[in-house]
Amino acid sequence: MTSASHASVRLSLTIWAWLAGLVLLGVILSELAILPLPHSGVIAVVAGLSTVKAGLVALYYMHLKGDRRLLVFVALVPFLLIALALSVVFSSAFVRL
Amino acid sequence: MRAGAGYAATDAMEHAVSLHHPAAASTQTGVPNGKLGMWVFLASEVMFFTGLIGAYVVLRMSHPAWPGSEGHLNVWIGACNTLVLICSSTTIVLALAASERRDLSAVRTWLLLTAALGSVFLVVKGFEYAAKFSHHIVPSTNVFWSCYFALTAFHALHVLGGIVFNLVVLAYTGRPAWWASRGRRLELAGLYWHFVDIVWIFLFPMLYLF
Repeated sequence: MTSASHASVRLSLTIWAWLAGLVLLGVILSELAILPLPHSGVIAVVAGLSTVKAGLVALYYMHLKGDRRLLVFVALVPFLLIALALSVVFSSAFVRL
Repeated sequence: MRAGAGYAATDAMEHAVSLHHPAAASTQTGVPNGKLGMWVFLASEVMFFTGLIGAYVVLRMSHPAWPGSEGHLNVWIGACNTLVLICSSTTIVLALAASERRDLSAVRTWLLLTAALGSVFLVVKGFEYAAKFSHHIVPSTNVFWSCYFALTAFHALHVLGGIVFNLVVLAYTGRPAWWASRGRRLELAGLYWHFVDIVWIFLFPMLYLF
């Protein structure tokens, strides 16, 4: 195994450890209620942890970190559309015609 | 035995096969067409699951008592299944890494393990479904269970599709001609599998923890 290949495998296992740790952290924070936060705050923290996990998978396992910028744009397009849809939903909640 | 001879030939060939990936086609984008197509497909899948998850969130916010007295999911079973999918994401990364160092035996082992872990996920989900059905909990029980069965069933279908994709790639790995012309499909299978993992990373806390 070359040193580059060895480093790649080691990085993959490091990301795996982070992902597994964040899953367990989310469960513990949610189930044991150790954070001095209301339920909505715990939801926000656990949702944030999920976003971090998804980011780690996308950046390192799907190689978005070192890939062509075009693919990053393709990956971001649905999120821009989601933001647009959310803004329409929430603006219609505040604006009554 | 013809099949046995085939396997023997394949085994003997393992160390001789050169796992060289096809050179990146000179496309205008600089990205192989298959890979770009997979990313566009995944972007459309993000929109699909966002529609489902968005509907769930709106329904969840409009029901203060959620999921109701009969709604109960075993968090630790869900957490274990999440870890299973995360492990499978890692094994397919290791399969890709093995293909880059031309280790066909390791590619097959990691791909097979990925498919096996995906199958474990589906089996566990099947047991969860069976337990709910035995308690007469079905999609029509209430709005939470409608959402639960819809979200998890669509996700399970995607997991099943990913397992089939991985097994098809596995079946072709012994053919040198396949590596020369379609070797990048291993990477595409990996991209799809990671997407399935990411969807579950969001579904698990939404359904089991909140």
